[in-house]
Amino acid sequence: MIPEIGLILLIISSSLSLILSVVTVTGIKLDSEYLLSYTKPLATLMCFTLITAIAVLAYCFLVNDFSVAYVANNSNTQLATLYKVAAVWGSHEGSMLFWVVSIAVWTAFIINRAPKTEQHFHHKLVAVAALLIFGFCLFLLFTSSPFTRLLPDIPIEGRDLNPILQDIGLIIHPPLLFLGYVGLTICFAGAIAALLSGGLSQQYARYLQPWAVLAWVFLTGGNAFGSWWAYNELGWGGWWFWDPVENASFIPWLVATAMVHSILLTAKRGILGSCSIFLAILAFSLSLLGSFLVRSGVVQSVHAFASDPTRGLSILILLIVFSGSALALFAQRVKIKSAPLGFSLLSKESSILFGNMLLVVAAISVLLGTCYPLIFEVITGQTISVGAPYFNSIFVPIAALIFLLMGFAPLLKWQSSNKLKVALILAAICLTMALIATLMMQALFNIWLLIGLFSALWIMSATGLAVVQRVAFRKYEVNNGSCGSSIRFYAMCIAHLGVAVSVLGATLVSNFETEELLRMGPGQGKTLSGYSFIYEETQAVEHRSYSAIQAQIRVVDSQDNFVTYLYPQRQTFKTNGMQMSAAGIRSGLFGDLYVSMGQKLTDNNHLNDNEYLIRISYKPLVNWIWLGALLMMLGGLSTMFLTKRSLVNSAVKSRQHQELCNETA
Amino acid sequence: MKLPSDSLNNMIAVKLFTTAVLGLLQLFICITVFAQEHSAPTHYNEQQKQIIGFEIARELRCPMAVNQNLFDSQSQIASELKGQIFLMLEEGQSKAAIIDFMVARYGDKIRYMPSLNSNTAVLWLLPLGLVIIVLIGGFIFIQPTLIVSKNTQDTSHD
Repeated sequence: MIPEIGLILLIISSSLSLILSVVTVTGIKLDSEYLLSYTKPLATLMCFTLITAIAVLAYCFLVNDFSVAYVANNSNTQLATLYKVAAVWGSHEGSMLFWVVSIAVWTAFIINRAPKTEQHFHHKLVAVAALLIFGFCLFLLFTSSPFTRLLPDIPIEGRDLNPILQDIGLIIHPPLLFLGYVGLTICFAGAIAALLSGGLSQQYARYLQPWAVLAWVFLTGGNAFGSWWAYNELGWGGWWFWDPVENASFIPWLVATAMVHSILLTAKRGILGSCSIFLAILAFSLSLLGSFLVRSGVVQSVHAFASDPTRGLSILILLIVFSGSALALFAQRVKIKSAPLGFSLLSKESSILFGNMLLVVAAISVLLGTCYPLIFEVITGQTISVGAPYFNSIFVPIAALIFLLMGFAPLLKWQSSNKLKVALILAAICLTMALIATLMMQALFNIWLLIGLFSALWIMSATGLAVVQRVAFRKYEVNNGSCGSSIRFYAMCIAHLGVAVSVLGATLVSNFETEELLRMGPGQGKTLSGYSFIYEETQAVEHRSYSAIQAQIRVVDSQDNFVTYLYPQRQTFKTNGMQMSAAGIRSGLFGDLYVSMGQKLTDNNHLNDNEYLIRISYKPLVNWIWLGALLMMLGGLSTMFLTKRSLVNSAVKSRQHQELCNETA
Repeated sequence: MKLPSDSLNNMIAVKLFTTAVLGLLQLFICITVFAQEHSAPTHYNEQQKQIIGFEIARELRCPMAVNQNLFDSQSQIASELKGQIFLMLEEGQSKAAIIDFMVARYGDKIRYMPSLNSNTAVLWLLPLGLVIIVLIGGFIFIQPTLIVSKNTQDTSHD
């Protein structure tokens, strides 16, 4: 009975979304205040029904209602309560529902917080978002309803949540990523609303700006956390493998980064509105394309996730309908006029524009590499692989160009600047220092190390110089620019610094990681990077959902001081017999000690067959990659919350100031 | 309204600078693609053997596991192939020779770094082409003359 309520709520929501969209569009067309007054309550109601629908699904998980197929496939009576709730978005159907619910919540929030003065933009945004929700709801109802029953053969026990997913990562990573996608959906709706209102004006861009930044913050978090999760859980020691599933969320992130910068540019200077619109459409389309690649199972991935070709086709249809109509509208409405751009080659605008275009090029390159094996197989029937070495050699040079621009942009002035001397000198100093460091650190000249070190150094010092210039400039001119723009500047610095920290971490860990792959058994040891790893014993461990064997490995430093114990495990899950390895990691600010345990070695020529293939590595600064991502998120969040408050403050101040003036007059 | 000669000089500086960067970029890609192919068979010491062996294992795909390289994969065949790599390094074979051997045995799918041939030309040249288009397109579209008109507008506003 309860699951049917969920299904009915889902049906009601899809009807509500259609009604909402039609009513709003008609209201705008007829300019009828009466019709438009329904937008807000309808959006709120739709949000409410969808939240109730997902709550019903969560309830089914909590009471172990295995008559619901989705619950039976992804839960189990043994599953911890927290994971039962997280299992709601643990697989395809539930995660799509989560996506739709989040769009509805975000839309309702926007329309309820819309400024009174100009609501048509927000009304259009809501109408488009409602249409998107309608599309997603139909997709859910017809191809992947989470409320489908298994009647009359109700299983006694569920199949259990995929063991890989039973981790803290599941609670944080997917929601962040989906919220990022939802943010992109909202930006897409905003871009279409702007197209329908005659282009993205400065004012519209200001409305969109916080949502774009928030979407980017979520996406950044989703990607970074996914990488952290894979590093800790998968036991293959990597933090990024350029796997298709990783790329599927990284490509939208690249375009979203370009979109955020473009929207900020439009909001600040009122230029390149169509560019922002196009990037918003592109980012949303790529997020759908990513979902298609991941969920249809057309790509082979180490992070295999519930995949089914029929869903893939439906997502593809959604993608074609949404992006196709958006692009058609864009082509019809956009005004390509040869108006003066209003900035020179040497200005903040042009460096941001170049950066954005290069970000899109990087995204296209990664997309090409991801899809090439597919296309190639379809055309020629042969299979090839495109993997990490290819992506590194293509992506890193493009990224290096972007980092170069990233350093210049804050130093340049708007419109036109002619003080490039200091920046060029600084760049030369950074390059020299990076070159010296590269030659000192490794015997052979390593171009990748040079690029990485230079990029990190250059971004840090250029951002520092920009701060110094601004502080010095502020001394002379006090009353210029609002407090908000100042906060936005420092937030930008924090985010850029985050990129530099990530780049530094990634460069050092990929060039200075030391590792050993060896067979080890009790009593054996190995020295690596000044640490001695001593295999003490093999233990059996029982856990609620898995049984495991683990190695107890004692780590001592060069002076024989005890550092830590590491416990890499090989887990066998009770419900489905799946085997996994979990790494033993000791995290530190300056490096991680990492041990993972491979299969048991049973050669006949060894008497002692209690040996395992053990992988030991020391990973310098690996945590800086995620630390940098946290800084980026912090930067993004502070632009959102602090500027809003300071805008209110400055508005209050100016009002007080006016009142004072009036009184004196 | 005349264009300040200072900013024109800078413009030229920027163009030169970017052209240099672009040239470097092309160089990098050429180096990364072709440099590895020409290393003669030699005798390696232990450390070199380990570094090169791990590097090769990272560039080859495990025939068993789903999208994992030989280095990360824990399947039986991956261990054997890793052994094979070190055996061949012991014989003093070059990296290219070992990769060729693996490709001959398991097909093109085993290499994560696709070779540059007529089938994969798009894969290698499209990104490079796009970067060049962006840079050249940017230089053509953002004309110095446009600032002049903007500057006049600005002054008239002020």
